[in-house]
Amino acid sequence: MAVNASKPLLRQLGLLAVLFGAIPGGLALMGGGYPFQIGITALIFVTLAVSLNLVTGTAGLLSLGHAGFFGIGAYAAALAATKLHWPFLLTLPFAGLVAAAVGVVVALPTMRLISIYFAVATLGVGEMIHVSLLNWVSFTRGPMGIRSIPPIEVLGFDLSGVVGGYYVAATVAALAIFAVHRLTHSYYGNALRSLREDDQCSAAMGLNPVRLKVQAFAVSCAIAGMAGAVYAHTASFISPDSFRFEESILILAMVVVGGLGSVPGAIIGAILLIVLPELLRGIGDFRMIAVGTFMFLSIMFLPKGLLGEASAISLARRQLGAAWRGDIGAGWK
Amino acid sequence: MMADVLLEITALSRAFGGLRAVDDVTAEIRQGELVGLIGSNGAGKTTLFNLISGFTPPSSGTVVFRGKSLAGMKPHQVSRLGMARTFQNLRIFPNMTVFDNVSVGAIGALGYGLGHGLLGGTKRAGEISARAWTALERVGLADLAGELAANLSYGKRKYLEIARALATDPVLLILDEPAAGLNDTETAELAGFIKSLHADGGTILLVEHDMGLVMSICERVMVLASGAKIADAAPKVVQADPVVLEAYLGIDDEEDA
Repeated sequence: MAVNASKPLLRQLGLLAVLFGAIPGGLALMGGGYPFQIGITALIFVTLAVSLNLVTGTAGLLSLGHAGFFGIGAYAAALAATKLHWPFLLTLPFAGLVAAAVGVVVALPTMRLISIYFAVATLGVGEMIHVSLLNWVSFTRGPMGIRSIPPIEVLGFDLSGVVGGYYVAATVAALAIFAVHRLTHSYYGNALRSLREDDQCSAAMGLNPVRLKVQAFAVSCAIAGMAGAVYAHTASFISPDSFRFEESILILAMVVVGGLGSVPGAIIGAILLIVLPELLRGIGDFRMIAVGTFMFLSIMFLPKGLLGEASAISLARRQLGAAWRGDIGAGWK
Repeated sequence: MMADVLLEITALSRAFGGLRAVDDVTAEIRQGELVGLIGSNGAGKTTLFNLISGFTPPSSGTVVFRGKSLAGMKPHQVSRLGMARTFQNLRIFPNMTVFDNVSVGAIGALGYGLGHGLLGGTKRAGEISARAWTALERVGLADLAGELAANLSYGKRKYLEIARALATDPVLLILDEPAAGLNDTETAELAGFIKSLHADGGTILLVEHDMGLVMSICERVMVLASGAKIADAAPKVVQADPVVLEAYLGIDDEEDA
């Protein structure tokens, strides 16, 4: 990876130009308001998909509870903003820190599990987070959700409208892309990739698999938490319904469709799966079938996704295989 | 004499249920030696190997490497002490390039953390890349550095695995059945390569099924049978040892007949 870094500056500038110039320009031409809402949602999911890709695509840990950490970040930001009146510049890192801390607590005991059990554990954690948000009424207001989350204001600049929200979401997405790209295109990325391929073998080369996995998971959760903060402040209302298993699967689908291990893949996957249903509104109830068909076909004909470096099927096969063969012990390594 | 003992195995045993896979093995490897470890299938070679490299904890006994007890050490800690291994059934990272495969050995040995990744860590990256290139050139795979490891031929993958182990800059290199699946020409080439590593000053433990390879290049051969060490001497002596002939070669003859 580190051997073929071609014209990185040019590509970064190009991405920024598209993100901050071309796309908002296009959205404005399409008539402002609603297109910008879609843009914000797409960027939040780009951030989420890029962060999940670090864990699932690069490090090979199938996480089925990513929406839970998105939710923790959203609630951390919403509660800090409404109860403590913190500004966005504080709630954003705070949401990341809280989500990362919960991620570490979850990861420490589960990282020693064989990957397929890890996937099941993250599924459980995602559900636990959802149920906690739903039932801890005194703290989270439960199903009523949190209302009137203050809009974003950064250093006196009012970014409360959809256009301002778009630029905030774009900035956070750009930072997430930059950080994950940097990690995956360094030797740190090679270390994570080797875990995905064969973590026992990585250990024999002197890498500490548990430590690396916990780190990658924490970074991923931190980014998901910050996406949550952006969501809370731009939507101004959040409820537990936005952070269910379905959302976790949606984020995973974005990573798989885009291609495991590829940062541009995760970006494209996220945009496709957010924008496609919107474009297909014309066909009404059939649109989700169309989206499902699209996902099915992309797995059938592009097993490595659009730009991936490892196929989802081989990842699943390896993980299930390790559990079924039982050659790493009965659930523990 | 004690000073240059690199690996010291004392009364090492490992039982799986009622089976004593490794039974009271005592052995040592000195700096600069090229030692063979042979035994028929199921003799306990791989278990002994896994005990030494920290993959399996022993039931009893001790392993001391470079003066440090390996008791309770994890595989990555053993690796960082300077012990590198290859795997019997070829374990490369298939979806990574040849260069990236080898870089993992250097990353493990030199360290490249989250901070290095986020902040650049260019000095360390330079060291890792230099070491990976050296290892690739040593095994003759530098031309294929950008190729996906999955696309390499079986024979080349063997060398890739050795290069990855060399990139950790090991004090002791343990090769687990490197000749498995190779034809006679390839085995002869591999023998030459292992000898050249040894000539460069490397200490090598060669765990093998292939008698010919071990007998032709090793200075000393240890023989395992039913988990116990039954011989430990120069190849000529071992080949003439009646205990070895009965326990190992004798069985082979019966199978052939």
